Amino acid sequence: MDNLGFLFAANVFVWGAIFFYVFRLGRSANTLKKDLEALKESLHKSANK
Amino acid sequence: MNGENNDDNKPVLLWLTAAAFAAALYAIFFYVPTERTEGVVQRIMYFHIPSAWIAFFAFFIVFLCSILFLWKKEREWDIYAMASAEIGVLFCSLVLVTGPIWAKPIWGTWWVWDARLTSTLILWLIYVAYLMLRIHTDPGSMRARYAAVVGIVGFLDIPIIHFSVLWWRTFHPQPKMISAQGLGAGMAPSMVGALLISLTAFTLLYFLLMGQRINIEKLKDEIDRLKKENLYSH
Amino acid sequence: MNRYCNQVLALVWKDLAIEIKTKELFSSMFIFAALVILIFIFSADLSVVNAYDVGPGILWVAFVFSGAIGLNRSFMLEKENGCLQGLMLTPADRTAIYFGKLISNLVFLTVMETFILPLFMIFFNVDLLPRLGPLALVIFIGTLGICALGTLLSSLASNLKAREIMLPILLYPLLVPVVIGSVRMTSLLLAGKPLSSMINWLGLIACFDIIYIGVSIMTIDHILEE
Repeated sequence: MDNLGFLFAANVFVWGAIFFYVFRLGRSANTLKKDLEALKESLHKSANK
Repeated sequence: MNGENNDDNKPVLLWLTAAAFAAALYAIFFYVPTERTEGVVQRIMYFHIPSAWIAFFAFFIVFLCSILFLWKKEREWDIYAMASAEIGVLFCSLVLVTGPIWAKPIWGTWWVWDARLTSTLILWLIYVAYLMLRIHTDPGSMRARYAAVVGIVGFLDIPIIHFSVLWWRTFHPQPKMISAQGLGAGMAPSMVGALLISLTAFTLLYFLLMGQRINIEKLKDEIDRLKKENLYSH
Repeated sequence: MNRYCNQVLALVWKDLAIEIKTKELFSSMFIFAALVILIFIFSADLSVVNAYDVGPGILWVAFVFSGAIGLNRSFMLEKENGCLQGLMLTPADRTAIYFGKLISNLVFLTVMETFILPLFMIFFNVDLLPRLGPLALVIFIGTLGICALGTLLSSLASNLKAREIMLPILLYPLLVPVVIGSVRMTSLLLAGKPLSSMINWLGLIACFDIIYIGVSIMTIDHILEE
């Protein structure tokens, strides 16, 4: 029963990796969305000129 | 695969995945009895096997999408192949890390050059090379074509690698889930149940991540398209 | 069919003519393979370990390493002077270009290996002569596997920026079955086993060769496309 540490380590790694990946995906999606908005806005402005 | 792209479906898939994972965690840590010989460490298997399944499934999707890309030459398939390869490598890494963590208390060593461990490691190397090829090449049709060729070549190697390392040596516990005696014959019914729930949860997670990754790539494409339009209109 | 063979032969002849004149590929491959063997001799003390145990592995490591150098070089030479562009402008089929390159790579690697084998025999004090026939077959199908996949991947890698590093990174994991099989068969041969005892390995590597020549025929059009 002293193997709980191994189970814990495995869990930490699995969840850590998955959450890190999800976090990275979320962050890059957010930046891209912002970029897209900014780009659309600047396009809109230059079209109105 | 198209289903989770539109925003209406996403919350449904998200909640389904969350519910499946809650059920899986409950089953793994409270419902399933502790294995008699291996003890509590055996519970790692409920993450290890689904990760292996997802990695393999993801690489199969890469293969399929690569063929479809070379056939149809549509950017869509390239995106799918790329997203699937990335997720496959993620889960393959999970397999390669959870395996040794299980092996240390059970076998006494972190790593043995057993057939399945070796082939998983080679598989990981092949798809890391695939992702590196994508990083080192400029976006465009050339990258998509080259990656597709590597995606096909890599997957076709899997059976050959399997046999070569199998004849080389094997110590891995025989798969208990699918054996000659029938489905799940070597395991207690509650263990099969927990494993199946965990498999479902991981499969749902795969599709959820795929949807997200595909969206990001499409956003990038959209930005590139707008930038180019902007450039040429002035 | 006849015309196709002529095209392939012309391509092979072109490569051989260049090589006979410059001897660039052969010299670099041979010296590199000899160096690999030398380094392994220093790392494995031959007075302690049995040469028959480590020899086959070292031999194939030398073949695969210097093979990758040759494969890399052979497509780079085409790239340098825009020769590949010229080849693609000719009415020759893309698969003819592939087969031409495959055969010339095979010839270069085989020549390198014929020169490395005596060196291996002397350095490791291993007598290969009685088993030369079966050994030649084993080396041939192994080298064919290296070249079948290597030619496809080097045609692809030659267009990349990081081509020197991408070819080995792509090639080596995929070549693992060929390396395991060839090393196994070579050590079985050195142990005096007949060729019939390794029929499964022979079949596996033959499968590898056939699969990858087939895949290359089907996908080379997508790689050599401008």
